[in-house]
Amino acid sequence: MSSPDFSSNSPLGRIVNFPTSRAAAVTSENATVFPRVTDEPAGHVDNWGRDAGLFRTVTMLSEIRWSVSTGGDQHLPTRKGALIVVNARRFALAAIYSAFAISRAVDRPVRFVGRPDGGTFGALTQRLGGLLDHPDEVAGALRAGELVVCSASATTRPRDVGVIDHALVGAAIRSNVEVFPAATTSSPFGRRARIEIGEATRRRQLRRGPLAEVELADHVADDITLLLTEMGEMTTATPLDWLPLSGIGGN
Amino acid sequence: MSGVGGELGTLVAKLLEDEPWVGSLSGIDADPPRRRLQRTTFHRISPEDHNDIVDIVTKFNPHVLVHVGVWEPDARAAPQRAAALTDQAAVSVLGAAAECRALDSIIVRSGIEIYGRGPGSLTRPDEDAPLRPTSEWGRTVADIERTAANVAERIGVTVGAVRLASVLGPHVPSPLGRLLRQPLVPFHATSDPPFAVIEHRDAARAIVAAARHQLSSPVNVVAPGAITCLHAIRRGQRIPLPLFGPQWRFARQLSHITGAPIPDHVSEALTRGRLADNGRMQALLGMTPDTNTTEVIDHLYRWPRVIRKQARVHAAQQIMPDEASA
Repeated sequence: MSSPDFSSNSPLGRIVNFPTSRAAAVTSENATVFPRVTDEPAGHVDNWGRDAGLFRTVTMLSEIRWSVSTGGDQHLPTRKGALIVVNARRFALAAIYSAFAISRAVDRPVRFVGRPDGGTFGALTQRLGGLLDHPDEVAGALRAGELVVCSASATTRPRDVGVIDHALVGAAIRSNVEVFPAATTSSPFGRRARIEIGEATRRRQLRRGPLAEVELADHVADDITLLLTEMGEMTTATPLDWLPLSGIGGN
Repeated sequence: MSGVGGELGTLVAKLLEDEPWVGSLSGIDADPPRRRLQRTTFHRISPEDHNDIVDIVTKFNPHVLVHVGVWEPDARAAPQRAAALTDQAAVSVLGAAAECRALDSIIVRSGIEIYGRGPGSLTRPDEDAPLRPTSEWGRTVADIERTAANVAERIGVTVGAVRLASVLGPHVPSPLGRLLRQPLVPFHATSDPPFAVIEHRDAARAIVAAARHQLSSPVNVVAPGAITCLHAIRRGQRIPLPLFGPQWRFARQLSHITGAPIPDHVSEALTRGRLADNGRMQALLGMTPDTNTTEVIDHLYRWPRVIRKQARVHAAQQIMPDEASA
């Protein structure tokens, strides 16, 4: 934290510069950089094409479908970029609702990987913060200090963690940012969903080659599995919970 | 310096005149400069006159060559004519520079259209992104960069490319600016992707900074932020005309008839978007743009259609009483 500012002669001159005022300084230097989502005016489109007004409307509408509780967001860096890897159930749109929920929790724009290239849906998802599923695109966003959510490949069983694209993890290593595991649970029949972000996954061995990203992707998958176990089962308190492959429980 | 007669070229020349490291400055173009230049020696030569250009350039024997003599399609010339002029100017000027023994550095004006917007292209490409131009203007600037790189490699000098977003500013001929200032502006209703621009003053500052630092790599020069066509229309209080699919082709033809042609690179920006990563500007050029994309668009709509200036001396006062009685 910076030292107190005693330079002003006014009675209110003894002001301690909290980090929030430093964020405001960034805003004044460059009018298009809004460190907080809530500061963005409605017509603002950021460097990546994310439309603040549309984002606000769609996140509000998404709360009709999902009521997401987010935990562990204190692990995320406040300014630097980070890659957040989530597990995904098929058709659950885990990366999208996770990005919306984390963005609301940390009050920063959060991008998600996997928007289609072209077409109406591609354009719409770009304006909601979507990125192409391309390592260079992800690396560019991470270098620019963005939080990026990508999902493991979708599985039918909610407790399983699919394959994590090691090329995307490699983009994080190249950009020198941390990779965070995040476990998600949601129900196809209910609104309740939960995201638990763990501590950054550390590389256990220093590798110089591409093996580093493969090993880190495996460790992230292990950490997500551990987080899912710690979160416990998602139940509806109905006999549905005993059904296997229902998307809710049955493990 | 080539292209000194254009609005951007004149601005670059004026800024270069103020630079302490610039000993003498010589400019070439087919058109005379738009403003009074104090220290620049101007030579009015057509890009087709290779011999004259070679004579002038070799006699001057520059240390730094700034090549701004490019014609954006439908800005000042029709696309085919613009491509031909740009090619001739590039070959003449860069070819002449290759004959100069004192030359240390070449700076060329390029564009972010060089990255292309084909399938799989990155949303916000940086300077390392693959060059896959998908428009005529993109291919033209790619050719300029290639020619400059070949010349630089052959004679052992550095070459820097300033890849500009669409340049907008008062009096700057720009097909995008002209389209957005129409009373009725078409936009792609189903996608309306974001694009970025750069104001002419920031573009000129970037070119001068590139010459000062003897830039030896490409750099994207893009104003921070982005805007969509619909947002721009709303800011300018124009009438939006939503278009779907093939209607865009008819809109282009109609717009051409009404005096605001939409070349393929502008059409691409409005249907596929056009952004670029400007993260290396500070490191390579030591500057960042003063104006963000939204402000550039706001300035675009603030230019008056007709500038009315008061006469220094009223006409009635100029007539002597004797003349009036006669």
